[in-house]
Amino acid sequence: MSLRVLNPNAEVLNKSAALHMNINAAKGLQDVLKTNLGPKGTIKMLVGGAGDIKLTKDGNTLLKEMQIQNPTAIMIARTAVAQDDTSGDGTTSTVLFIGELMKQSERYIDEGMHPRVLVDGFDIAKRATLQFLEKFKTPVVMGDEPDKEILKMVARTTVRTKLYEALADQLTDILVNAVLCIRKPNEPIDLFMVEIMHMRHKFDVDTRLVEGLVLDHGSRHPDMKRRAENCYILTCNVSLEYEKSEVNAGFFYSNAEQREAMVAAERRQVDERIKRIIELKNKVCSGDDKNFVVINQKGIDPPSLDLLARAGIIALRRAKRRNMERLVLACGGEAVNSVDDLTPDCLGWAGLVYEHVLGEEKYTFVENVKNPHSCTILIKGPNDHTIAQIKDAVRDGLRAVKNTIEDEAVVLGAGAFEVAARQYLINEVKKTVQGRAQLGVEAFADALLVVPKTLAENSGLDTQDVIIGLTGEHDKGNIVGLSQHTGEPIDPHMEGIFDNYSVKRQIINSGPVISSQLLLVDEVIRAGRNMRKPT
Amino acid sequence: MKEIVTIQLGGFANFVGSHFWNFQDELLGLAEDPHADPVYKNKSLDMDVFYRAGETQQGILTYTPRLVSIDYQGSLGSLSSCGSLYNEVQSDSPHVVTWSGSVSRQASEPRTKNLFLQSLYEEQETPSVLGNGIKKKNDDCRSEIEDKDIVESLENSVQFWTDFSKVHYHPRSLYELNGLWVDAQEFDNYGIGRDVFSDGLRGEEMNEQLRFFVEECDHIQGIQVIVDDSGGFSSLASDFLENIADDYTNTPVLLYSARGPGSYMKNTSQKESISRALHDAISFSRLSAFCNLIVPIGLPFLSQSKVSNFLRIEDSKPYHCSAVYAAALHSMSLPFRMEQLGPNEILDVSGVVDFNGVIQMLAGQARQNMVATLDVAMPAPPLTGEQKKQSLQESLHSLTPEVAEDVEDMYAVEHLTIHGALRSGTNRATISEVQDSVYAAAQNSLTLPRFSHLSVAQCPLPIPLPFPSIMGNLVGQHGEILGSPVSGSRRGSLDVHSIPMAARLRSSNAILPFIEKRSVNLHRFGINRGARGSELLRSWGFGKDDLEDMGEGYSKMIKTLDPHSLVSSDSE
Repeated sequence: MSLRVLNPNAEVLNKSAALHMNINAAKGLQDVLKTNLGPKGTIKMLVGGAGDIKLTKDGNTLLKEMQIQNPTAIMIARTAVAQDDTSGDGTTSTVLFIGELMKQSERYIDEGMHPRVLVDGFDIAKRATLQFLEKFKTPVVMGDEPDKEILKMVARTTVRTKLYEALADQLTDILVNAVLCIRKPNEPIDLFMVEIMHMRHKFDVDTRLVEGLVLDHGSRHPDMKRRAENCYILTCNVSLEYEKSEVNAGFFYSNAEQREAMVAAERRQVDERIKRIIELKNKVCSGDDKNFVVINQKGIDPPSLDLLARAGIIALRRAKRRNMERLVLACGGEAVNSVDDLTPDCLGWAGLVYEHVLGEEKYTFVENVKNPHSCTILIKGPNDHTIAQIKDAVRDGLRAVKNTIEDEAVVLGAGAFEVAARQYLINEVKKTVQGRAQLGVEAFADALLVVPKTLAENSGLDTQDVIIGLTGEHDKGNIVGLSQHTGEPIDPHMEGIFDNYSVKRQIINSGPVISSQLLLVDEVIRAGRNMRKPT
Repeated sequence: MKEIVTIQLGGFANFVGSHFWNFQDELLGLAEDPHADPVYKNKSLDMDVFYRAGETQQGILTYTPRLVSIDYQGSLGSLSSCGSLYNEVQSDSPHVVTWSGSVSRQASEPRTKNLFLQSLYEEQETPSVLGNGIKKKNDDCRSEIEDKDIVESLENSVQFWTDFSKVHYHPRSLYELNGLWVDAQEFDNYGIGRDVFSDGLRGEEMNEQLRFFVEECDHIQGIQVIVDDSGGFSSLASDFLENIADDYTNTPVLLYSARGPGSYMKNTSQKESISRALHDAISFSRLSAFCNLIVPIGLPFLSQSKVSNFLRIEDSKPYHCSAVYAAALHSMSLPFRMEQLGPNEILDVSGVVDFNGVIQMLAGQARQNMVATLDVAMPAPPLTGEQKKQSLQESLHSLTPEVAEDVEDMYAVEHLTIHGALRSGTNRATISEVQDSVYAAAQNSLTLPRFSHLSVAQCPLPIPLPFPSIMGNLVGQHGEILGSPVSGSRRGSLDVHSIPMAARLRSSNAILPFIEKRSVNLHRFGINRGARGSELLRSWGFGKDDLEDMGEGYSKMIKTLDPHSLVSSDSE
């Protein structure tokens, strides 16, 4: 209370009040996200003040959309969002797990136990659980040809929790093929090489994988072809517009002729560049049915477009920086920064290039490429919020596939791991622990069950029945998960329900850390001016 | 035609921008209105420079600003983030197509539209209205009363910049920073905004929004940026500008770093004032690094400054202050869209200069000073007549804070724009009269700038309905300065229909105190041994080397303006 002396206005919460504030915040956050979990969860439709709609079943998105004010809740939310940043999924599970750890601890603390002892127990249990996870995980050999089936199962497990089954199953193939397309042996997977493009057009089931690239702009000249086959692709970053010389050069002229001369000289330079490109075109496409497409990162002005159009070249300007990389990976060739060293080797190849126009929006498809290492997932949907939700699901799905390839392992889902780990902690680990820390292990073990419990609850099943059924079956020596439809124990392996190893690992790692910190708080001090409420 | 793309970053910048686009919209409306003053009908201002023509998916043609506006989440008030034109038809309870399970709907309370926005939407219902900015003057009594109510309700209730905006925006123009809520957290120094740009896909999305507008430009003349530099937005802006400088290497960037009235009012503790001083120093140094010309605007007490001689402004209202800055920006932007007509056309503009021209003129001359000050005369005084109390040069007052007054600078360079000037009374002056008068004044003046460029247009600043009532009682219907005050203390859009304006960008050593203050603060609190702010700066992510580089940048800036200056990085 020495703070009182220093600052009489400071608000201080004492030990038990502080603890309960933390516990309540954790439980509150858990309640909000609880209904999200699993393939039977509830989707949330958020309608903003101006009528904007946002659809989400993703804990991460939901946390970002909520204006969380409670400091404890903010801490938990940050941990959960960090979880998503590192592994791409598991936000909801993290929040649920932290909430449940706090809830279980509350029981013991109310009975007079010191949080420190609980925290020690958590620590032991965490280490044991992580070791158990190593034993429990199902290794997957990746090698040169990854097992597509297992990748599909992981992707399906993730995406089915975000989208309805038929769409999820359709996306599963797309996701796995996309990741396998960009995967290079012995290199980390760069998911940015999968372009995600959307069109507000038709229906969600028209979403597809384009082996090649879709650009969100078209050529800007009326005489350029809208569709071309057998195309050489020149990817370049060369200014093809007349611009005043370097910004800092500071040029002066004393009369109109001089100015004209300068402008003409500038123009000549640009024309020279165009001429080089046209020469290359004539060299590679002499007399046959081949076409030539220029995709430039810099601008191309109307006179240059004119020249290119007359030479029968399709030209796109101001391409995305990242598309330069993607184009080269998709079509081959290389991105050139100057027209001085143009050779036919710089060129990529695409079997088909065509433009699609929707209102004022133009899309250019670069398809039928040879041996692509970059591809595009083209999402379609009737409105923006549907597209946004599918996009979120696609991002999560891609991460799940990537994680599986990099982990070289998966974990059985549907609550199977949680049930097994809990039984392991209770039946084996607890006995080896001395003293009251046992109770911490027990609290941790029970908290693990929050996942199967919530899954059951969201499916409208009786949680007690389900847990008893699962633990019973487990003790008979079977590995079991929960069937969402019947509530009966099932074998997740048979059903093809797999979770990411790294996601699970992360949850078990971060959950107890943050809970321990929150439990060990013994005073909450709010001092200083509160900026939100002007006095 | 050479296009300009505008970027508005942050709360106050969007307030300024909102007024700015209201002026443009009003000009568009008046050009189409058969009853309007013919001065607005001139063909020599090309609005396509700032606007783009588009088409919705339903095939409806649109005409919207080339603009990227970036702000907090929830800062759009009652405006949907898809704008108002491209909306698909939405039923009240849309069916969720992506999920077969249960749906829970959480709606926040709908934002009510204020009277002004309501009247806009009603107007839209009647399809006969062509231009969206026609002000109904001399209409029947009923709507006159309504207009009065509208003006009053705006005076009292403006909370968001969208509350008084009458412009239709393209959906790609409006970008809310997801997860960064209005009022939810403090966002008042450089450090807080540090990771905002790189967080998640945000930077990429912002680049995409801008690319959409740049891609369709055949020949972009430049990017005009307005940044609210009072808080975290300046670090977001500097990251964004760095990207822009990378992507559009030779496109000139003109940056207005604006500051709202609120940002000066809360320095209480010493700790805060150090943080504030360092923020100013860092923010200015970083922002100036990635643009070609920077113009700091935003006076701490606009209402007491000389700018407000004829204005009645409440400093606490961003709605009021932003209108003045927007008017000045509008004046400065006129030369960019003037069209050179054939010699036998009647002249109603002169002094065409493009973006690059202005930048070369001010920042590219011998001195290479890239910081300019903005002065404005609002309303501009008449050229002759008995009401003439001040000359034009005397009536221009600075909107840039912390500048030296009455400096003599042999090397000053200035770019002056006058539009809608009056000869005397309410008679509009011709272009050549304005030119002659400015030249005459220059001949008589003792201190001549080294170089001065004059742009003149006939068309005055139109006052749109949602313009705040900030005119004093000496301002007449056409912005003429009256001999004796009329009744009522404040006059707004119903009483004043247009005003003549003069605005000037000036590169001179008047800006020295502004730069010196930042340089001194940077050294005192950041670089010197045992500086009290070094810990804070480290938490903002600046190491010693970064700070020393910035310090050097400042000394260089000071040296260009004042070669005899003794300030250098090691002269502490």
